[in-house]
Parts: sequence; C-alpha cells; structure tokens
Amino acid sequence: MYGKKASELVKEFASSEPGQLSAFNNDLFSQVLEECNGHLLHLQSLLRKMQEDGPDNQTSRNADHFGALMHHLSIVRNKRCLMAYVYNRAEVIQHLGWTIERVLPEEIEEKLSNPEKDYFKNHSATLQSYMSELDLDLAVDMVPPKDPYIKVRVLEEIGNVVLSDQFANLARHAILFLRRTDAEHYISQGLMEELSS
Amino acid sequence: MASSAGEGSGSGLVDTDDYESLISTTDAELLKQAWRNEKAAPEILRFEASLVQRSREQIQLMEETIEEYSKNGVDALTVSLYQMDLDRTMFLLRSYLRTRLQKIEKYAFHIQKTSELWNLLSKPEQTFAIRCTDDMGQLFEQSVLSKLPDRYKSHLKQSVISEEDDMVPEAHLDSFVICRCKRFLGAFQLDETGVEKPVDLEADDLYALRYKSIKPLVESGQVDLV
Repeated sequence: MYGKKASELVKEFASSEPGQLSAFNNDLFSQVLEECNGHLLHLQSLLRKMQEDGPDNQTSRNADHFGALMHHLSIVRNKRCLMAYVYNRAEVIQHLGWTIERVLPEEIEEKLSNPEKDYFKNHSATLQSYMSELDLDLAVDMVPPKDPYIKVRVLEEIGNVVLSDQFANLARHAILFLRRTDAEHYISQGLMEELSS
Repeated sequence: MASSAGEGSGSGLVDTDDYESLISTTDAELLKQAWRNEKAAPEILRFEASLVQRSREQIQLMEETIEEYSKNGVDALTVSLYQMDLDRTMFLLRSYLRTRLQKIEKYAFHIQKTSELWNLLSKPEQTFAIRCTDDMGQLFEQSVLSKLPDRYKSHLKQSVISEEDDMVPEAHLDSFVICRCKRFLGAFQLDETGVEKPVDLEADDLYALRYKSIKPLVESGQVDLV
C-alpha cells in the first residue's frame, strides 16, 4: 500500500520515549525515498501519456488524471512523513545541545545519522557563539536556585580545580559543598551527582 | 525628605498602594514579569533590551559588592543573602534568555520570514536564528530533500504547486493562557466575529483565555501572563 512505510517511520518515532532517540532507521528511510522515486516515474509516464493523447480522449483522460494526482499526493505525503521524522529527531538533538556540551556520548552518537551528527555540531556551535557574544553561560542554572550551595558527590576523579570561590580537590567519592553554578557543569557531564538532603 | 521638589508635591499621598506600585516597578520585578510572560506566551515577545541591559549592570554591581564584602570580612550571613539574591536574578535572566532561544529554535523558519516577529529579536538573537535555519536547512537538505524529485525540494513548501509555504511550524496562538489584569479594562471583545459576548476584565482577576484574543493587551503590558 502506498504511504504505509512512511507512516511506520513516523509511528516509530512517536512510540519512542519522549526526549530519547532510537537509532536512525536508515533502512526504512531509504525505502520511503525509493518509493518516492517510484511514484515520480509513474507520475511522469502518466503525464506523458496524457500529453500524447491530447485533450480529446475523454475516456482515459479522467483515469490518467486521477492516477497522476494519486502519485503526486503520495510523494507529498511521504515527504511530510520524512520531514516530520527528521524534524522531530532534530528537536531532540537541539535539546541535547542544551544539556550536554560539544561532546556527544558514544551511545547517543551511534544512533544518529551522519547529517544529524553534523547538525548537532553546528547547532551547539551556534548556541555557544550566542553565549559568548553575550558573555553569559546559559547552560547553567537550569532549575531555580534554592540555596547558593549544594551538596554533591564526586563520581569520577577530577582532581584539583579552581572554583569561583575556593580551591577544591575533587577526588572520587568525595562529598562536598559547592556553589551551584560551579557544580552544575560537572553534574551535566555526569561527573558528579547532587545529594538531596 | 530628601527627594526632589517634583516628587515632593505628591509625597503626602504615600500609602501602601504607592509602595506596591513602587515595588512592582523595580527591575527585579519587571524582569520576573518579563520572564513569566515569555514563559507563558506561545509566541516570541518583544526583547526587553533596556531591562536586560539594566539587569546585567545591576548583577555586575551586586557581584562587586559581594566581593568587597567578603574581602572586608562582613558577616557571612549577610554575604550569603546577597549571594542568594544574585543567584536568583541570574537565574531569571538566564532563564528568560533561554526561553527565548528555545522558541527561536522551534519556530526559526517562521520567525525569519515574518518581519513583525523578526523585529522583536535582539541582534544576537537574529544571528542565532539565521544560524538555526541554516543548520536545520542543511540537515533537511542532506537527509531528505536532496534525494527527492526536483519539484519537491523546498523545505518551506510541500511541492512547487503549493501557493503558500505550507511546511513551516508556527506557534499556536489559539492556545489558552492564564492571565491577570493589572487594572479594570471594562468589557473586552474576545472574539473578532462577535459571536461571543464581551467579557468584563476586572483588576487583579485571573482569566483563562485564548492567547490570540489578549495578545494586544499583553504587548501593551495591561495584562500579565502567569
């Protein structure tokens, strides 16, 4: 049936967890594209036939006309589905650009298609350049602050660093009080976790 | 009273009302309202350029104060109160800018081709929007459009026979928002067609209305979104 594969593609995205990406379905995606080209061939041959027959041939004219329209609509529908698939995935990728910086974790990266990887790079560069133009880091302070300091546990060895108010040795498993703005970077990279008191 | 002569003439009337209106016009309060409006409105609003500018200056001032205090050994509690205030203002400002960027990300194509919306953005936001559409366009091109037949290659139209751009996501202006009137506005026609009866908008009352119908009131600041 025409258009079935495209709708499968969209359904696949719709049924995945919100905010999560499944692997880019290359197979199905290229099948839909192939279908589009098939439609185009039919469409062109019908249009050609209509031209050859001329406007006089009433009997076959309607049939050909509607046939051509069918193929046209199928292409348009497939296109909408493909675009929706790509667009909605891109929205998830945009969101990733806010939460993780620059480097994509491997398990996410392998789910992206090549254009999507480029998109992530370009888009996070876009975000970065906006922030550096304003000289303001927008990736911190994602939740309203209750207390300027939060209690965190260090998950990975980070070592000695200079924070905005102190020198700290961020050894693994250490539990410390840090400024929220300092800690958020490490938390979003998964190097620290916040301990709720 | 040390205030100038102009203000002095009305000083006899200072009461709680004036105090409240004074409080509600501090930059912190204005920023909070701008942030709320921006969060609640489905479409992008005008960039509060001078407010953002003033807030940033105040933030800088506050940072300097805190630094000075902690250097001079002022009581730690006082410093941490200042710090908390600073953190909150920073959060508001960041969240305000962030919300706008997220709207731009979402509706970049639409904003870029609609000049009324385009003019609401700040210069850096415009740059951001242009780069957004470029990035997105490139993604579409590489993944889908380059592989489609010639007459279907546009990312704005479904095919060349579409008369208008029919593939651009736009904000839903029909969605409902919760709003509060700042003062009595009288009978207000919610519906252009005149089918619905006008609604009396009272001061300080809450309403759930379609964003589209109160859009001009939000823009002129007569109604706050919450």
